[in-house]
Amino acid sequence: MKFKILRQKAPNTKPYYETFDYDGPMDSSVAGALDYINYKDDIVNDKGQASSRISWECSCLQAMCGSCAMVINNKPALACETFLKDLKEINTIEPLKKFMTVCDLVVDRSIIAENLLKANVYKTGEVKVSKKDYENQYTIAKCLKCGLCLEVCPNYTKGNKFYGASFANDCYLIHTTSKSDEKELKAEFDKHFAASCSKSLSCMDVCPMNLPTLASIARMSRNKAN
Amino acid sequence: MKKAVIIGSGISGLSCAISCAEKGIKSILVSPFVSERSQSVLAAGGINAAFDSFNEGDSIESHIEDTLKGGRYIAGKKAVTGLCKSAPDIVNWLESLGTLFTRNDKGNPDQRAFGGQSHKRTCFCGASTGKQIVSSLVMEARKYESLGLIERRLWCDFYAALIDDGICYGGIIYNEASLSLEIIYADALVMAVGGQNTLFGKTTGSTMCDGFAAGKLFTQGVELKNLEFIQYHPTTIETAQKKMLVSEAVRGEGGRLYYLKDGKRVYFMEERFGKDGNLMPRDVVSRCIYECKRDVFLDISFLGEDQIDKRIPEVRDLCKKYINLDISKESIKVSPSVHFFMGGIAVGLNHESSIKRLYAIGECASIYHGANRLGGNSLLAAIYSGKIAANDIENSTAFASKDGLFKAFFEDENKNLAKMFKSDSKFPVMYVRSLLAESMNKNLAISRNEQALKAGIEDISYYLSVADKIKYDSSVLAYFNYSVGGILTLAKAILLSANERKESRGAHFRSDYPVECDDFKAASVVSYNGGDIKVRFDKEGQYEV
Repeated sequence: MKFKILRQKAPNTKPYYETFDYDGPMDSSVAGALDYINYKDDIVNDKGQASSRISWECSCLQAMCGSCAMVINNKPALACETFLKDLKEINTIEPLKKFMTVCDLVVDRSIIAENLLKANVYKTGEVKVSKKDYENQYTIAKCLKCGLCLEVCPNYTKGNKFYGASFANDCYLIHTTSKSDEKELKAEFDKHFAASCSKSLSCMDVCPMNLPTLASIARMSRNKAN
Repeated sequence: MKKAVIIGSGISGLSCAISCAEKGIKSILVSPFVSERSQSVLAAGGINAAFDSFNEGDSIESHIEDTLKGGRYIAGKKAVTGLCKSAPDIVNWLESLGTLFTRNDKGNPDQRAFGGQSHKRTCFCGASTGKQIVSSLVMEARKYESLGLIERRLWCDFYAALIDDGICYGGIIYNEASLSLEIIYADALVMAVGGQNTLFGKTTGSTMCDGFAAGKLFTQGVELKNLEFIQYHPTTIETAQKKMLVSEAVRGEGGRLYYLKDGKRVYFMEERFGKDGNLMPRDVVSRCIYECKRDVFLDISFLGEDQIDKRIPEVRDLCKKYINLDISKESIKVSPSVHFFMGGIAVGLNHESSIKRLYAIGECASIYHGANRLGGNSLLAAIYSGKIAANDIENSTAFASKDGLFKAFFEDENKNLAKMFKSDSKFPVMYVRSLLAESMNKNLAISRNEQALKAGIEDISYYLSVADKIKYDSSVLAYFNYSVGGILTLAKAILLSANERKESRGAHFRSDYPVECDDFKAASVVSYNGGDIKVRFDKEGQYEV
């Protein structure tokens, strides 16, 4: 099996593809394969030329932290839950393209939290408990902030005022769990989500936590109608 | 305005930053990545608080006794009392922030049974309690970020503390984006850096928790404590990429451990300890599994699909995804694996270390858990310790500027780093890290003995002798390079502590000293002086009373 990886030494340098052979265990994931390639101290590419370790972000290795989001064969996914048995003989791995590349497959996703901060998405009033909403809230609170939903979204581009699905879901969470200032939150939601979402819902296809984003949008929009 | 530098933005770091902000203290929250990447999100099972929701006579006293007993009576009673007394308030506080606890019919947080506990005391959010707590704390921290009371510094790693004459004046961090060191003066430096996982390669936890900060501070004069107590979680599954935790919640919900003999199930924990045998403390269960010397299985299938999906859905998903096994139909093959570090930076009741104004909270601090931690007490301690440190920072005198004092130190560290960037030798840094993990796994296993420990000490001493001659690897973060010395020093201190404790207690089992012995009924404290490492037993309760 081969991995053709889009590499980049530093933020402002030119990206290039480099291919590596993989002869490790096949019951592993892409994360396991990257680890395997990186394990040796004399890493060579498929042409036998000396190379360097492939940088990638990793923390939990079990799809609970969102670190290893990347584009695998043109599909945004978490490396730790993309299994080799489902891949081809030659596979392309690239960093998420909607974010600045720091090094190889490591990107800077700080913008996700920055946007939530800019739009003041936090609790200002007391907490409210809703039995009806609990299941959705619980699932949505599992959002990894991994950025896969933004990568795949046709409406999201860096610097744009549209903040994407992860933003909409946090708005829903605040809206349904706290007695916050509804008006302000609604205005932010309208400005940074409702106004530009074309409802392709591609975000839901790639979400590793299967967040019910459509339910969040519906609820926030219902709020708008009220 | 007072200022605290907090290293680490998992649950304990967030708890401390939020508590500081509530008191008008500004925090600089330093972490390479956002809180969602922290190990805290992996905490599955729950958080203990004696609410007695089942009217079965649970009490704060009972929580205290279970915690002390689980830790084999070397944790401080006063410390543990403070922890357990505050537990109900902490759960209420989390609820007030919007943490989504699983609720009972009355609308209060539901509670489940956990190992080593006399009552059903563990509040939980399905089997993703840590993640749910992180989500609500991140939201709360965001509020204070917008007020300028919390300032996040991402892409930054801990480098060193600024210490003069037993007092800490802030820290030096390494900025991976600007590739340079930065000095931050503050009224307090709070370490919230988690456990020491990468000493053992890959554990159940995050690959980002590596023990460097504890090791580095140790060389700067900070005392460490109880390092030999390393918790092996009894039920983990082996996958191609790591050992993954099967939450204790499975046994809390009735899960039974067994092995097969002549085709028949032997429920060895129940045979040995009675009907609640599966819920013995983790150290006991891990050792029993180890002693079986054959495949051990965990069965929860009898609970039925509905209840499994309601109570522990994440465990079902995990097993399906990584080992293609449906826990509602089949038993899970499990084995013990390194999970939690009871040892770490020695702190007093106020969470201050042996250096004034230098605090440690969460897993990197050694307090409350003694020789073995009970499930559900780590999330509790993470939040409690953050609050206690914030209280102490509020009550301590303000910082007197010492800018000039660390100028030379900072310049020297810059030179050391520049030298490291140019280093070249036959010892590649990642190779040394793998060798370390290999030696630790072999010599600090569930069962230890003097011969293995001495072999480990010999290995690490050799790696340490070449640590400042390693070959710089520019293809990994600078942090991976400069952290090697601190990590190795910590490893040596752990091995020396384990060798000095010539008894078996809690998670520390010595095959050559298999019995618990009153001579060692105290915390071990380890100190560093110019390369010389000394271990003593703290019988007077210098840190934890």
